[in-house]
Amino acid sequence: MAVMADGAAVPEEARPRPEAPPGRRENAGPAPARPARGLSRWARLRRDRSLLLMIAPAMLVLLVFAYLPMFGTISAFEYYDPIYGFFHSNWVGLKNFTDLMADPAFWHAFENTLVLSLVSLVLYFPIPVALALLLNTVISTKLRSFIQAVVYLPHFFSWVLVITVFNQMLGGAGLLNQFLRQHHMATWNIMSSGSAFKYLVTFESVWKEAGWGIIVFLAALAAIDPALYESAAVDGASRWRRMWHITLPGMRGMIVLMLVLRLGNALNVGFEQMLIQRQAVGAQHAEVLDTFAYFYGIGNGNFGYGAAAGLFKGIISLILIFAANKMAHKFGEDGLYRK
Amino acid sequence: MSSTNAFTRRGFLAASAGAAGAIGLSPLLAACGNNGGKGGASTKAAIQAVLPTYKPLSGGVTPDIPSVPGTNGAMTDPGFLKYPSTLPKTVTGQVGSGGRYAGVAPSWNPVPPAGNSYYEAVNKALGATFVSQPANGNTYNTVIPPLIAADKLPDWLSIPGWLNPTFDTGGLVGTKLADLTTYLGGDAVLEYPNLAAIPSGGWKCGIWNNRLYGIPSQTDSLSFAGAIYYRKDLLDAKGITPNVKTAQDFEALGREINNPGGGVWAFDDMLVYLYQVFKVPLGGWYLENGKIKNVGEHPAMLECLAWANKIAKAGLVHPDAIAGVNTSNPSRFMAGKVYIEAGGMAGLSGPDAKNGTAGKAGYQRALFPLFSSDGSTPSIGLGGSSGWMSYLNKNLNPEQIKECLRIANFFAAPFGSFEYNLLNYGVEGVHYTMGPEGPVFTKEGSNTAADGIFGFFSTAQTAVYNAGYPDVTKAMEAWCADAAKHAYKPMFWNLNISVPSQFSKTAAQTELWDATQAVAHGKQPVSYYQDAYSRWKSGGGDALGTWYQQNLIDKGLS
Repeated sequence: MAVMADGAAVPEEARPRPEAPPGRRENAGPAPARPARGLSRWARLRRDRSLLLMIAPAMLVLLVFAYLPMFGTISAFEYYDPIYGFFHSNWVGLKNFTDLMADPAFWHAFENTLVLSLVSLVLYFPIPVALALLLNTVISTKLRSFIQAVVYLPHFFSWVLVITVFNQMLGGAGLLNQFLRQHHMATWNIMSSGSAFKYLVTFESVWKEAGWGIIVFLAALAAIDPALYESAAVDGASRWRRMWHITLPGMRGMIVLMLVLRLGNALNVGFEQMLIQRQAVGAQHAEVLDTFAYFYGIGNGNFGYGAAAGLFKGIISLILIFAANKMAHKFGEDGLYRK
Repeated sequence: MSSTNAFTRRGFLAASAGAAGAIGLSPLLAACGNNGGKGGASTKAAIQAVLPTYKPLSGGVTPDIPSVPGTNGAMTDPGFLKYPSTLPKTVTGQVGSGGRYAGVAPSWNPVPPAGNSYYEAVNKALGATFVSQPANGNTYNTVIPPLIAADKLPDWLSIPGWLNPTFDTGGLVGTKLADLTTYLGGDAVLEYPNLAAIPSGGWKCGIWNNRLYGIPSQTDSLSFAGAIYYRKDLLDAKGITPNVKTAQDFEALGREINNPGGGVWAFDDMLVYLYQVFKVPLGGWYLENGKIKNVGEHPAMLECLAWANKIAKAGLVHPDAIAGVNTSNPSRFMAGKVYIEAGGMAGLSGPDAKNGTAGKAGYQRALFPLFSSDGSTPSIGLGGSSGWMSYLNKNLNPEQIKECLRIANFFAAPFGSFEYNLLNYGVEGVHYTMGPEGPVFTKEGSNTAADGIFGFFSTAQTAVYNAGYPDVTKAMEAWCADAAKHAYKPMFWNLNISVPSQFSKTAAQTELWDATQAVAHGKQPVSYYQDAYSRWKSGGGDALGTWYQQNLIDKGLS
């Protein structure tokens, strides 16, 4: 509700409406869909059959690979043994969870997961946004395409290759340390440094994924009406002003959405990346929930225990994503869905 | 001990370096019965009762270097300096009865196309269809559990010893896998002469819960976790002839040759192979005054860790080894980036010599003679006689089981026999041609016959043969003959133990192993290991020791 100069509220119907530009209808969007209330269910199905057919494979994939496997979480409540299967393994109730809660190794893995996730959130998340903004300022299409291709490329490398490259550069026998040795300076094996590990893995993630991460932000940028920039430029707005008042608000919804999704994935800090580097820095620095479930569950043949760790992680992630979504709604954004 | 190029274990030993350590660390072939509840092991009397009768083959190829006996039943494998010119047949009569069987085994080689000319040739000789289904060896631990869960086990399944805990082999036998006692126990095995010629140690590894289930492959009478190697050519160039008698000598040698500024380090990661040097009891457990104790309590373990920690902190170990970059481990040694490394016995082999000399003329790998940290008489623990077993599906009927055992008998043909040649090289002119140094694969053979998959289901006692490199065979045989004199059997040697499910996490010792590595790599002090060990003990280690004491030691089962 608008407010008058004296503080009194202006009734909605009394507010002046902006005049539509000549030659354009006030509401230039597509004609509203015909109310479906009058149609039978069969008629609606017939009407939407193309759309339904299009989403059917995706729903099937979701059902088969996401929802049906959820039945397997029952193993978290059993001494699951593949020989006896889900229905005949010993039922232990919450014992796997109580054991988990009493296991210092689990809490250590949980702590590492949170720390790595936090560092990644602070240091990694802004970088794709900044890269997208920078790339958006490049006028030459050819140059922009080239830069895009270069920053996308590492995404297609496996973690083994990425870490090998880093090891060749920063490892104890890598280029950096050989240079330091040859100049009689103290060496620093960054790849084996426990204290540097959280920054190292974030740096690796930035190098590998930041380029790929800019795609959605570039899409958001592309959706901003260029006329707004032209109008702002005519009004004398500098580049910074245009970015602050047009670009960033245009991306805000996408940034919040990505942040919500990121928080939902906060406990996924990269299984393969940690697994490969676990020996380099030791479990005390690299053990995260995923590797814990792998080593203490699958590795020991203790599937129920691993499943309990996985389920715990899933529940915390769910809570995080709903909390983040609620925050997004409080700030007036859509988040995962429109309220 | 093994080293053949016909069916080399180098590939999968290299691919599973951790497994070698695991075998050395933990009670051999230990498994956790999730639903078994009580757990246990076979008794000595029952093992003797079901053990197949050993009867060596007669009329086979005579080795150039015969087996040499050592102590505690150790005996070197026979050595061949050249490939036999005549290939005697060891299997007569009909093998198969037209049956069709699917066999799943791990493979670290490219998977050949199904139904290829090599498989067809083998099936023709078998008189049955053996559908070989190689699975990725690196992910084998994840391939089999779904098959178990879905009750889709193949007719014939190969299980590496170190995956027994993962697959719960102690639970699978009897419920999903066939009991072969009546078919192979005692003199019954004599119906299958090649199987009867497999040394008894191999068969012991196939006994679970007092019954015989497994068919051994790659059986050795002298199985060691590994040895310590050095680059003889590089040390020769420096005018150094290693004369290492103690850990102090070893460290001094390391300090002399270490040159990080030149990009060359003295040592690679050697932790589990240092156990032999420091006389850490193999198998993870030892007896003291009739009481079972864990190796973490043994003073030798702390000495070993302290030494490893010292050399790592002194910068004598290649940084990539400390960083756990093991994929490039063989290349570090071959490229001359480290002078000394440790690894499985297949390290000294024809393929190694071939690859090494291809990279650098004059490349020469040599073995350090056994030594102990304090200069006393060295000792070396025997590993399991067979690290690989294959099992038949319980759903097979008796006639099918007998047919499979006749096929296993064919697979177990000894080195140099007609059957061995067919299984390892295929058909002459099609899959290989006979060169001066033995069979050489044709292009067709390389694509179809080089996966060595049949060797995962049953093989004869291992023979040492390195095509074109007789000196390598001689060096290996000489080292083994010396080592055999110092061999001892660990407490649970060749014994399959099912640990009750409540001890599965404790028995795996994951945290303890992590702490061991952190100390050995110089990242943590020895006290870090001691703290981890105390936590392990109070967190279940003591209870597990009590279980071993009551169920294995006090009952006289070990």
